[in-house]
Amino acid sequence: MNRLTLLLLFTGVVGWTQNTPIQNDSTEVALDEVVLIAKTKKKIETEMKMAVSVDEFLASSDNISFIKRGAYAWEPLLNNMSTERSIITIDGMHVFGACTDKMDPITSYVESNNLASIEIKSGQEGGMQGSTVAGSINLKRKNTSFTNYKDWKGAYQSGFEFNNKQFFNLGNISYSSEKFVTEGSFSYRKAENYSDGNNDKVNHSQFRKFNSSLGLTYKTSDLSSLRVDAIFDQANDVGYPALPMDLWLSRALITSVAYKQLFEEGLVRVWDSKIYFNTIEHYMDDTTRPENLVHMDMPGWSTTYGLVSKINLKKDNYSSEIQLNAYNNLSIAEMRMYPQDRSERTMFAYSWPWVTTRYAGVSINNSFEVTEKTQLNFGGSLGLNYNHSKYVDFNWIFHPGVPQEKTRFLPSLYAGYTIDVNKFNFSVGSGYGHRAPSVSEGYGYYIYNSFDRYDYIGNPDLKNEISYEINASAGFKNEKISFQVKANYFHIQNYIIGRILSMGSPMNYQSVGVKGYTSLDYATLFNFSLNAKYDILEHLHWNGTLTYARGKDNKEGNLPFIRPLSYQTLLQYHYKDFGFQTSVNGDFEQIDYSPEYGEDKTPSYTVWNLSADYTFYLENFSTTFQVGAENLLNEYYSTYADWGNIPRMGRNIFTSIKFNF
Amino acid sequence: MKFLNFFAIATLFAFTISCTVDKTDFEAELNQDVTEYFEFEEAVSFNTNGYRISVEALNGTFFKGYNEIRLKIVNTQNNQLVSNSEITFLPIMTGLQDQTTSCPHRYNLIYNAEENYYSGYVVFTDESSSVNSWDVYIGFMSEGEQIFINQSVTVETQTNKNLNMTAFTGNDGETYFIALIAPQKPSVAENELVAGIYKYHQPTTPSGTFPDPSQFLYSEVNNYTLLLDPRMPEPSMGNHSSPNNVDLTQQLDGLYYGVVNYTMTGKWTLNFILLDKNGQIIKGTEVPTDFTPGLEGAKSELYIDILF
Repeated sequence: MNRLTLLLLFTGVVGWTQNTPIQNDSTEVALDEVVLIAKTKKKIETEMKMAVSVDEFLASSDNISFIKRGAYAWEPLLNNMSTERSIITIDGMHVFGACTDKMDPITSYVESNNLASIEIKSGQEGGMQGSTVAGSINLKRKNTSFTNYKDWKGAYQSGFEFNNKQFFNLGNISYSSEKFVTEGSFSYRKAENYSDGNNDKVNHSQFRKFNSSLGLTYKTSDLSSLRVDAIFDQANDVGYPALPMDLWLSRALITSVAYKQLFEEGLVRVWDSKIYFNTIEHYMDDTTRPENLVHMDMPGWSTTYGLVSKINLKKDNYSSEIQLNAYNNLSIAEMRMYPQDRSERTMFAYSWPWVTTRYAGVSINNSFEVTEKTQLNFGGSLGLNYNHSKYVDFNWIFHPGVPQEKTRFLPSLYAGYTIDVNKFNFSVGSGYGHRAPSVSEGYGYYIYNSFDRYDYIGNPDLKNEISYEINASAGFKNEKISFQVKANYFHIQNYIIGRILSMGSPMNYQSVGVKGYTSLDYATLFNFSLNAKYDILEHLHWNGTLTYARGKDNKEGNLPFIRPLSYQTLLQYHYKDFGFQTSVNGDFEQIDYSPEYGEDKTPSYTVWNLSADYTFYLENFSTTFQVGAENLLNEYYSTYADWGNIPRMGRNIFTSIKFNF
Repeated sequence: MKFLNFFAIATLFAFTISCTVDKTDFEAELNQDVTEYFEFEEAVSFNTNGYRISVEALNGTFFKGYNEIRLKIVNTQNNQLVSNSEITFLPIMTGLQDQTTSCPHRYNLIYNAEENYYSGYVVFTDESSSVNSWDVYIGFMSEGEQIFINQSVTVETQTNKNLNMTAFTGNDGETYFIALIAPQKPSVAENELVAGIYKYHQPTTPSGTFPDPSQFLYSEVNNYTLLLDPRMPEPSMGNHSSPNNVDLTQQLDGLYYGVVNYTMTGKWTLNFILLDKNGQIIKGTEVPTDFTPGLEGAKSELYIDILF
């Protein structure tokens, strides 16, 4: 029903766009994004590699690490916290994965050529998009500006990676004029199994991904525009070597209609509103694994629709953003097991028993320039989170009599102060915020976690997780040298984590027991990063990063998936149209691992990468050709967050070519 | 151009709006193998000496296992229901070589004044077949005269495995019966589990005129405890169990009540240990709690298989 309404809305809006008479006179106002406070990572490429996947790009950020279950769909950890604690949005739209085993983080449903940038905010500053503990990751769509003249632009990128025989084609094209912009992209990646540092094939690590997007923007007046946007993504035959099953098919359709109004005068500068709808289906397949004596179908569906509306205010040295978020999500996941004798009756249960999540919240973000050199940022949000479990009987098995519905209030507050003193800059900040348990944490039922080999049971009565956070940074910058030190500390009350349940016995074939999500009294997390840059010569640049994190539970035990001391150093040299890059990165030995949560000690590793590129003109196309090698020394390693200690890719020679026109 | 774009979106949308794999209809899933019986209907009726006797059972059928029965007697001369009479009920099975046995039953039916019927139960231990045939012997008083009558009945196979029964010899040498009564249609939830537990009494006196009720004595056992451990015995399930189950204890109506949790639909085994009033084990063994994927699940000596 809801889908139908949306479809009608969709057709209506598009139809209306077409019928609007074209107005002629226009004073040129660029409808560029007014970014007030956001610190944005521009350009979807890393220093080492120009044709990267979204995951590879995110990996180049200091405060992102990954849980990897294979070569595809890595789960991003922000500030060393898993995706339940962060908010991942696409242009402010909430999208929820349909896989109970986190095989489809939202980042797997976009592609690098339909994104403009990724905005990462740490801690409560990320509360604009909703309630969070770790922060927010907003994947920003490409958005071409209106032009005075008719303009076609495009890029085409193709490449081959030798290790896993990955062949990819990425293309995007845009047309812009005074009144109308349309842009589209497509991409197709196909990869086979990769080989580790011992040149052994890692079975079930292949993938195929198709992605396309389309955006239409129409200038409804000099100061307003209407945009219709859609992303379609489909992945087939994706292997997850660390899991006992693979993906047969996942498909996402992510759509939105947005209206943006600018104001030349007055307090309100921008009003940007969007309604959106997205639907994801995800079907796992374990028949590809001969070791599975029993087969289980685990389809999942996630459908979300919502509204996001934002106004930007500005007056003198004060600016502010106010955002309204509202969404409705329905998450369904099934388990159906087949006995050896297929004529026998199958077994059936819901791992997500039709769980509805509704959220509505208002967030505000203020920025006040006290003096030219000092700035105060403060804000907060208040959200209302509602959950409903349709087949609550499943939840009653372990939690008899819990209510079918649950409403939570989720407040958050934060403040930060930055000051520039000569070439130095300093900042301090603090935050407080609640988050609601995720669908799995609240309502999950026998969700098999292949890392610690336990079946997980959600608890609808979990308390809100409450985060108290402090952060500070200091930096220095002159013509040649810059460095930045950042640290944050989280004290998280009612920290949600799985604990062994004495009652209940496992259901999944490989499982060893049952864990229930429970709240620890508290847990603490400390993150530190040091980033330095040095321009040695005009064309020779160096930069290095060091990160460290420590997570502890209330009994001083280690939390899982905390990145050990890690480093990255990069040297770049440009000469005329040539570029050379080399980098070394690695982790130290993981000393503070957590056997209780299924971790073992991961040894240190070092990886050396090298690449070279050449830019030239082919006819009228600006063309860049790049060749390089990752893990040049073919080191055999797996990181602390590689699910089941699966080895990472060995030496990988990559080539890519990009045409811009 | 614009139209084309729009068309592309619309097609894409229509294409994706239908899921590739249909979601499971859970209500239909639960109904798949379960027939529920709610209505008492006439199972058998016959006339004798100016009376019409009608025996009602759920769905109008006698099944192997527990059957609640309602007996009505009508005086065909004045069409009046006979009330507050003393009625006896005795089921007899004739097997090979004309051997006669009975099964757990209520011999003296209880009169229900509100609805004017005589209430009882019978736990048929076998279906009617070419070898086994069932008769019911009914006795009542009419105008000071004792009337006995017998009528053959058909006992059908119980297709709802949630109403299964078992008969066994206990460690004390006695014969016991456990019959499931509820839930008829379990769900993935806490289910109230109701069972009847009965015992056969060896005759102490020599047989009189057939059918001599003293030769076919059964009774409900009192103050026993039935320990419960539900499992999924399929090799794929590794003898999976469920939490929060409650052992069965006797309530005022003589039946035994407990709670069983089913964590998913499928094949389940209810493993039992029957304890007498002194806590002595009559029958049953503990099932190891090991998770044994790939193997047929271990069972207690005393169990009933169900399916839903």
